[in-house]
Amino acid sequence: MANTGWDEFEIGAMLRTFEGEISDIATTLQEDRKYTQNSSFSASVADWRIEKPVFNKDYCIDCQFCWIYCPDISIISRDKKMIGIDMDHCKGCGICVEVCPTNPKSLLMFPEVADEEREIENWPAKEKKEK
Amino acid sequence: MAFDKMELRDTEVWDGNLAAAHALRQCQVDVVSAYPITPSTPIVEGYAKFKSDNYVEGEFIMVESEHAAMSGCIGAAAAGGRVATATSSQGLALMAETLYQASGMRLPIILNIVNRALAAPLNVNGDHSDMYLVRDSGWIQFDAFSPQEAYDLNFIAFKVAEDHEVRTPAVINQDGFMTSHTAQGVKTMDDDTAFNFVGEFKPMNDMLDFEHPVTHGVQTEEDWHFEHKARQHNDMMTIVPQKIDAVFEEFAKLTGRKYNQIEKYDMDDADVAVVCMGTSVETAREVAKEMREKGIKAGVVGIRVFRPFPFMAIAEALKDVKAVAALDRSAPGGTAGALFNEIAGSLFNSDSKIVLSGYIYGLGGRDLTKRHLVDLYTELQANADAGKVLTQQQQFIGVRGPKLAYL
Amino acid sequence: MLEIRWHSRAGQGAVTGAKGLADVISTTGKHVQAFAFYGSAKRGAAMTAYNRVDDAVIMNHEKYMEPDYVFVIDPALVYTSDVTINDKQNTVYIITTHMSTEELIASQPKLEGKRVYTLDCIKIAQETIGRAIPNTPMLGAFMKVSGMYDMEFFKESMKRILAKLPQKIIDANMLAIQRAYDEVK
Repeated sequence: MANTGWDEFEIGAMLRTFEGEISDIATTLQEDRKYTQNSSFSASVADWRIEKPVFNKDYCIDCQFCWIYCPDISIISRDKKMIGIDMDHCKGCGICVEVCPTNPKSLLMFPEVADEEREIENWPAKEKKEK
Repeated sequence: MAFDKMELRDTEVWDGNLAAAHALRQCQVDVVSAYPITPSTPIVEGYAKFKSDNYVEGEFIMVESEHAAMSGCIGAAAAGGRVATATSSQGLALMAETLYQASGMRLPIILNIVNRALAAPLNVNGDHSDMYLVRDSGWIQFDAFSPQEAYDLNFIAFKVAEDHEVRTPAVINQDGFMTSHTAQGVKTMDDDTAFNFVGEFKPMNDMLDFEHPVTHGVQTEEDWHFEHKARQHNDMMTIVPQKIDAVFEEFAKLTGRKYNQIEKYDMDDADVAVVCMGTSVETAREVAKEMREKGIKAGVVGIRVFRPFPFMAIAEALKDVKAVAALDRSAPGGTAGALFNEIAGSLFNSDSKIVLSGYIYGLGGRDLTKRHLVDLYTELQANADAGKVLTQQQQFIGVRGPKLAYL
Repeated sequence: MLEIRWHSRAGQGAVTGAKGLADVISTTGKHVQAFAFYGSAKRGAAMTAYNRVDDAVIMNHEKYMEPDYVFVIDPALVYTSDVTINDKQNTVYIITTHMSTEELIASQPKLEGKRVYTLDCIKIAQETIGRAIPNTPMLGAFMKVSGMYDMEFFKESMKRILAKLPQKIIDANMLAIQRAYDEVK
């Protein structure tokens, strides 16, 4: 695509989101949609990250705050249950961690190279509120 | 919702504005988004009245500026409607940014520009400053010399612009007041004939096609912008001229009125010729005939299609002419007139021995009289006899004070 | 080529009059042109409107004109505008005034030796239409002076042009046209 010549694309400053005809898009999961190469869904920004969020489902209350606040639509939620993070599109901004209301937090930022299972094993304990 | 048809006489006495408004009605334009300005106001006002009287099925969007007017047109065109508006002068200047958006997005919007001077000093009368201001905006530009042509060229413009191989917006220029407010006989088409000529609007990549979602107006930066602009230019240079010729031909079959990218009058054996635009073309035609009675073989070339510029056709039309004048109705702002430069460019690598001189005239609606043109043809004949330009290459005509000549 | 220049004030209907006249003439197969100089287009400001009539399509778009007829539809313009500018030997003037032709010429010596007809279009319009819109009376006077068309044909044509107005106003205009035809001297 990067080598496409002037005569090889459709006219107008116009891009298609999906291959071919679509119907019932609202009930089709993202991973099942036929996104074109032009859709930003087809592009990974994983390498933008320096830190990554790690999700610990043991503390999650499915409040959906992270899903609402994520600027890259990278929180994967099914039937209002948080199930994980779309690591192809997460840029590691940390907003999900900021807005997470549980104690301890269900999402924490770690270096990109950190081992996820080990970090969950060593998850911080509940903080006592000072009176 | 059904709309009413209007009974027209074969010849109506219309000014250029009313003629254009009827054309928009007969094309059944879906959306007019407009911010009225003199002298183009009656075009959009006319559409609005036809709409409220149920002679057209469409929407009129009143906006807060010309920038918003064209933005509304762009949105409506991207959504998939037949769209038009009108403006003049300062309004066009404010609209200029969005014109480039429309052409880059390949949206077939029709814009009637009723040509008017640009301030300062403020002036509502006709000259071609506004036409020149947006000449490189990527729009197809037609020029009407009379109310009849303002009517006809609207139909032609819709048909060319909306063609799926073209998909490029088009301007129809007409002279402020001299055409827009001058009533003359206009041969009409009945509503059905007129609509059938342009046909139903055929959407392309429209945003209201929910089965094929598209993003319009994307950002491309260094890696894509050049290819997009190259494609736009290529289509203007190769596809658009052919489509224009084909539609001119089709229109002639329907009405008997044949248009050409350049209009040649008395050019077959002309020694001297003027090249100009707008109402001046017709006045010059009349003077050329009178010059021929005096033994000067005079001709006229009118620029019907200003963009894409008929570069090769100009060279061809002028190849046997001895002296030619380019008439520019716009302040050149420190260079030769635009038409002078375009014509010089088309003649430069040809074998022609023609001598070319430029004239700046008619700013702010200043009258171009027949006497001016008689003097001009006489001067051209002297140039033709001498085989060189005897005056300076750029002269002002019709301006008070000491003679102005440069270059 | 027949050329007419109207002297009027913005709002008195010279443009409508010129376009109406062009429309009537156009129906007889002639070619017409009607235009105006608006200037700053303020109601009450002096302005001029123009007609050209010819057997061939009119190509000439210059504003300069040596008129065959000059219509003056506001009585003060004879004194404040040069209504004789660019006239010809045989230019015919039709001027609205409350005075007789002789009195008018005496009050404006520029008109001396010219072919001048007068009538009071303002008074006729006020008494028939109820407003000082002197354009249609001027056309009635023009029909008399020029003998251009049969009066019945002209009135029928004007009825078509005015068709969108209420019947009462159309009738009043017909009366105004007829009175002007009868009263111009």
